[in-house]
Amino acid sequence: METKKLQERVKKVVANVLKMDPEEISDDANFIFDLGADSMQSLELVAAFEEEFGIELDEDKALSVQTVADAVNFIASYLK
Amino acid sequence: MKKNIKVNLDKIFYPDSIAVVGANKVVGTVPYDILRNILDADFNGVVYPVSPRERFIAGIKAYKYVSDIPDPVDLAILVFPSSVTHLALEQCGQKGIKGVIIISAGFKEVGGEGIEREKRVKEIADKYGMSIIGPNCLGVINTDARSKINASFARRMPEEGTIAFLSQSGALCTAVLDYAYAKHIGFSKFISFGNKADVTEIDLLYYLKDDPKTKVILMYLEEITDGPGLMKAARTVIRAGKPILILKAGRTPEGALAAASHTGSMAGNDEICDAAFRQAGIIRCQNVEEMFNIAIAFAYQPMPKSNRIAIITNAGGPGVLATDAAIHEGLELAKFSEETLSMLKKNLPATANIKNPVDIIGDARVDRYNVALTAAFNEPSVDAVFTILTPQSMTEIDLIAREIAKVAHHSEKPIYASFMGEADVSQGIDVLQRNKIPHYFLPESMCRAFAIVYQFSQTRHNVPTTIPTYEDINAPYVEEMITHTISMGKQFLTEDESIRLLKAYGFPVLKTALATTVDEAIQKAEDIGFPVVMKVVSDKIIHKSEAGGVILNLQNKTEVTEAFHTILENVKKFNPTASVKGILIEKMILDGEEVILGLKRDKSFGPILMFGLGGIYVEIFKDVSFRIAPLTEHDAKAMIEETRASAILHGIRGRKPRDVEKIIECLLRLSQLAVNHPSIEEMDINPLIVQPKGMGAYVADVRIILKRE
Repeated sequence: METKKLQERVKKVVANVLKMDPEEISDDANFIFDLGADSMQSLELVAAFEEEFGIELDEDKALSVQTVADAVNFIASYLK
Repeated sequence: MKKNIKVNLDKIFYPDSIAVVGANKVVGTVPYDILRNILDADFNGVVYPVSPRERFIAGIKAYKYVSDIPDPVDLAILVFPSSVTHLALEQCGQKGIKGVIIISAGFKEVGGEGIEREKRVKEIADKYGMSIIGPNCLGVINTDARSKINASFARRMPEEGTIAFLSQSGALCTAVLDYAYAKHIGFSKFISFGNKADVTEIDLLYYLKDDPKTKVILMYLEEITDGPGLMKAARTVIRAGKPILILKAGRTPEGALAAASHTGSMAGNDEICDAAFRQAGIIRCQNVEEMFNIAIAFAYQPMPKSNRIAIITNAGGPGVLATDAAIHEGLELAKFSEETLSMLKKNLPATANIKNPVDIIGDARVDRYNVALTAAFNEPSVDAVFTILTPQSMTEIDLIAREIAKVAHHSEKPIYASFMGEADVSQGIDVLQRNKIPHYFLPESMCRAFAIVYQFSQTRHNVPTTIPTYEDINAPYVEEMITHTISMGKQFLTEDESIRLLKAYGFPVLKTALATTVDEAIQKAEDIGFPVVMKVVSDKIIHKSEAGGVILNLQNKTEVTEAFHTILENVKKFNPTASVKGILIEKMILDGEEVILGLKRDKSFGPILMFGLGGIYVEIFKDVSFRIAPLTEHDAKAMIEETRASAILHGIRGRKPRDVEKIIECLLRLSQLAVNHPSIEEMDINPLIVQPKGMGAYVADVRIILKRE
């Protein structure tokens, strides 16, 4: 999948979980520091990524992903 | 960037503006409660919530980033999760914020990644010249009206007072606040310093030394990372007149690891801590209750001019208990003048005891307390007054408490009280506590608290600080010997090497000579003069006695010959592979008292010295004392006096007084040796044989263990 397209889908998922406009989310936004995710929302994000992309993520590794850019790379590695 | 800790700590305790970074709107969470506490405490400045999501919190405009705040910020309180703390901190640095409190946990205390996070936080602080309290802490409270800041998630703001409380544990802080609140104990500063990644208890001690609102400093410590630094800071603070009370956790002996020397096995972490605190003048407390018992005595009342007290009681038994405790603590009951006695006689019932302790009898009402208190305060020989009350049916508890407060208010002499009981006396106690009269449930605690205040008042000015050094030593020679031995892969010095080392440091060493043959042994023994001691010299044998390698009190040639062969046989049996360098012949001292001097290294405090009387006193009674090198002469003397066995050295029950001066000299030389040569890991001078007064002392045996390469 094209990186640009993957990035848009990631942002859409994040916006959905954190209840915000995808436009507000920058490419390298930190889920906690920039977007204000709490610990519960971090878990929700992992679940939402799995559902959106039809994949199963290693939860520990997934939770250490902190930014949109990291999430894009991380998910891309599962889609290869 | 260079940081000015004092200026930065002022930004933390007296900020004009605070940013709560990572704030949220969820009541009952740390980020929200901290913001709420700052607002509720009537902070004398501006507060900025910083939150990635919220536009306002508690009715105040919130900013997305610290950098968005248009005005300067003095203090940032970080409540973000540890994974992003560094991002927030970096922004604080760029914004020019110099004071930071990191509340978040998840750093060094969790190990692994947490250690890295803490390192990163410290690096950012240093890069921007910021000072950080925490992480992993409860926060900071300053009751000073100039600031009024409760930057913590404690349940309440304490009353204003003169006690500063510092704690490594956040949870203990809230317990202490609750305890103190019930007793109307106020605080000047309340600081939970957590992992002390940047600001340490030492920095805080120096800061509080100059804090005009603080009279006494209390600290709860779990680990001491810089022992000498803590001692130096404590001495400075104490010399400035502020007592330091420490509750140190970890009294268990697990720190006393198996060691190769006596000193190593005797000096556990706790003993070392005790010694270091005593040496620096720090008052070590056993528990929170004792700590506050002593703290309120310092905080509420003036220092006494002497240890002469008057006891006023409406109860005979408790009066006796208080008298016993007072005498036990080294206090004196003042002897009343004729004038005072006649005044008491005139105004008290005939059944009263007008001599100190004054017993105004069980049915005493407030008027009798007034008479006795006035008399005691006017009596020139009295420098402190202890008031005791037990609740009888006619006792005017509340009025008597008010009377004590009134009299105390007009007097420069300290007054303490013990209202014994619980339910009925509680109202009176409340009056005492509100009026800053130190109150104790037990007269014994009262006497102890006073005795500690009195000792502090006597010693804080006149503790000598000069470290004596001896010029007649050859340090380069010793260092060379040590370095050479370590480079050979050896960890022990042999007996003759050890003796050369001691001689180079001016220790009195017995005349000795090494013999490799029987004839040589006889010759050397005759040169030295009988009686002699013979000892095996071998790299492989450290515990010579165990190996049967020592024979004492040899009177003539025949005995020397016999001993020579016996030692060689014993050693061969003990360790067939041990190569024997020879047999050491040594003068035998007959009229001597054996003492042990020791040295070991401690991770936190550095070189530790030990003193004890030899033989069973060390082995069975563990009657030893410790100090941290370098020693002052005062320290060396105190080490000896502290042991119960010191009485033996001073000569009791017909025993001759010993040359204590020479022991002091040896301790000071050992101190110099310990400081000059960090590669000496452990050392026992065991025994040092001390002759009668004026006749000197001799090292009879020594064991020196070096650091591994």
